[in-house]
Amino acid sequence: MVHEFQYRAPRSLSELLALMAEHGTSAKVLAGGTDLLPNIRMGIAKPAFVVDCKRLPDADRLVFSPAEGLRMGHGVTISAVLRDRTIREKFPLLAEAAHELASHQVRNRATVAGNVVNASPCSDMALPLLCLDAVAVLTSTSGERTVSFREFFTGPKATVMKPGEFLAEIRVPASSADRKGRYAKLKRVKGHDLGIVGVMLASSPEGLRVAVSSAAPTPVLVSGIGRGLDAEAVDALVQKAIKPIDDVRCTAEYRRYMVGAYIRRLLPEVSR
Amino acid sequence: MTITLTVNGVSYTRDAPENKTLLHFLREDLGLTGTKEGCGMGECGACTVFLNGRTVNSCCVLAVEADGAAIETIEGEAGPAGLSEIQKAFDRNHAVQCGFCTPGMILSVKELLKAVPKPTVEEIKEAIEGNFCRCTGYEQIVEAVLDVTGQGPKGRLDHV
Ligand SMILES: Cc1cc2nc3c(=O)[nH]c(=O)nc-3n(C[C@H](O)[C@H](O)[C@H](O)COP(=O)(O)OP(=O)(O)OC[C@H]3O[C@@H](n4cnc5c(N)ncnc54)[C@H](O)[C@@H]3O)c2cc1C
Ligand code: FES
Ligand code: FES
Repeated sequence: MVHEFQYRAPRSLSELLALMAEHGTSAKVLAGGTDLLPNIRMGIAKPAFVVDCKRLPDADRLVFSPAEGLRMGHGVTISAVLRDRTIREKFPLLAEAAHELASHQVRNRATVAGNVVNASPCSDMALPLLCLDAVAVLTSTSGERTVSFREFFTGPKATVMKPGEFLAEIRVPASSADRKGRYAKLKRVKGHDLGIVGVMLASSPEGLRVAVSSAAPTPVLVSGIGRGLDAEAVDALVQKAIKPIDDVRCTAEYRRYMVGAYIRRLLPEVSR
Repeated sequence: MTITLTVNGVSYTRDAPENKTLLHFLREDLGLTGTKEGCGMGECGACTVFLNGRTVNSCCVLAVEADGAAIETIEGEAGPAGLSEIQKAFDRNHAVQCGFCTPGMILSVKELLKAVPKPTVEEIKEAIEGNFCRCTGYEQIVEAVLDVTGQGPKGRLDHV
């Protein structure tokens, strides 16, 4: 790589937070590196400090308890999500989205935390996290706060995170366990292409939810959809919430069309 | 930064610039040029290696991140007795044409067979979805994997 930077691999959270507080926006956290390193290579990211978070204790912690729900450490990879039995049984939507993300080698390295901090409108993991009322635990030298993923994304590649903040953990409440749903993602070649559009339908206590990727500046969640509605009515509600654009991968019109097509395809499976 | 890592069971201690990828470190500093660079961006899988027991794209890993790690590359695949069973099956089934994708492809197949001893065609295709081959059209590669797992003689195109 042409761009030069200093590499740090802190062994404790306090050391990592101190580095981030000291260097502010010139420091970038390095998790799986599957977004950051290609971006450095392309000259899109030019951090002076690269702070590897994988050597922190408990980075890969992945535990479920009825009291605390699912707790995913920042180092949990997409492959670890796929391998985890509790996730497959209690939170199958996380596994469905994980399965659609990139290729085997990328999934072995990429983290769920890195996926949401990267905040691409086409993020796969954002959709189940939105459908399951997950929250992000953000830590910095000035303390800790918890942000719902419904408020987390603010624009393409933009989040509520402030300079110096670190996403320490993702939590999914136990009350979201066993939510049924389905995910469909349009892409040219599985494993290589980012999604053209993605649609997840999920049940929830207050009605149907539809989460959509690659169809607005951020991943979109439409919640509280009345149970008896037919696919046309659900589609009409979702069409009002999305704002797709024309880009290199396809037109806005095609994205809108495919969102409707996926809703028609998935709704009967989810209402069953 | 000085790093120590093992590659195919051999321990190396070297100075690595912080911005050097594991791929370039293997090729340029250790002379292990079996691992290839295609895209350099995580897309083609030509740079696939095992890092602590799992396949990764070594173009998306810094050499300094591999400090203390155990790496396996294609150079570790053949033993003193010659080619590995996967390599022999690739050979028998003409799963190699120019060979550029082959090191990565073989390591991805090896990762699959560790978890799934008798994979289906679907499972094989999914396991190699991160490995581009621009020559073979993939069919002979799928056949080689069926062959090495005892699921059909070579050249049985009806499997694909
Ligand atoms: C070939 C290829 C295909 C891909 N396909 C898909 C796909 O289909 N779907 C998809 O959604 N994505 C895809 N991606 C993008 C990428 O793999 C994912 O977004 C991945 O989950 C990023 O995680 P990471 O751990 O590699 O993040 P990194 O690259 O390490 O980090 C990403 C960003 O988040 C920051 N960061 C990471 N962790 C933290 C933390 N804990 N706290 C604060 N900041 C943090 C980093 O500083 C960086 O800015 C693909 C990438 C490649 C190379
Ligand atoms: S060179 Fe690493 S994935 Fe293409
Ligand atoms: S044999 Fe040439 S790229 Fe696969």
